[in-house]
Amino acid sequence: MCISFSSYAHEMTPAYFKLKPSYIKDVSVTSMKLFNRREDVEYYDIEVFTFDWKPIPFASEYKTINIGYHKSKLFDVYIRDSDIKKVVYICTQSKLFKSKDQITLITSRICSKIR
Amino acid sequence: MDIKTITTLVFLMPASAALAVDSPIGGTVAPKCSVWTETTGVYGHPLPYKLSTLPADGGVVASIRVDVAQADYYKTRFTHPASFSSSPTLTDAVAWTGSTVVGVVGVAGMSAYEAAKVTYNNVTEFNMTLAGSTWFSVASTASYGSTKSLPAGNYTAIIKAECIAK
Repeated sequence: MCISFSSYAHEMTPAYFKLKPSYIKDVSVTSMKLFNRREDVEYYDIEVFTFDWKPIPFASEYKTINIGYHKSKLFDVYIRDSDIKKVVYICTQSKLFKSKDQITLITSRICSKIR
Repeated sequence: MDIKTITTLVFLMPASAALAVDSPIGGTVAPKCSVWTETTGVYGHPLPYKLSTLPADGGVVASIRVDVAQADYYKTRFTHPASFSSSPTLTDAVAWTGSTVVGVVGVAGMSAYEAAKVTYNNVTEFNMTLAGSTWFSVASTASYGSTKSLPAGNYTAIIKAECIAK
């Protein structure tokens, strides 16, 4: 049995994002920053939701971000103007490897809200 | 030292003191939430049909720390497992129970989070009204069938910890 007592963290900023027009017609964009202090995690999913947690289509350089331990990554999220009124949350969620030794695993999700 | 020199010195001293303190340092603390996985939790196997993270059952309760940089900007949500993410083939139902409680608190007032928490299904929500660190303990128990023995193999279940801007 393997027990982990070291601390690993997941952070994302800003807490409140603002969408602004992008260089693509009818598409808005916002920039987010993810910071990975979880040694046990290398991948994070980006997700966009309505107020009642229904997924909204979006585009980004990465849908799943590969990020090293103690590294930060800036990413842009592009959303169609027709969806802007529905957008409330942009989240990143940690992805866990199935083959980890731990019997219980913790997945973390941090969500920023539209300003 | 004559009176002229003393008078000159008295007038010069406050001026030099004022120059020395005029060097401000600026800084900003942005609203930010960090989810720290301190102890991932381990199931004990106290009975052939049971897996439990409770210390009394030989398990280890998961401990998750949430740091909030500014008060009243976030809520946290913990989901204890309601299924195995990987396990041997199970032919019978598994009954799941679990709980999330406030553990150690960085600020005394955070103890009130426990009374104010909202629980539904396998989810527990806390309103993070104070800035600082809060430790949460998440427990989980799985009982297989009607006291059937769990098949041998590796079992994995996932706890979800969320920090959501309000």
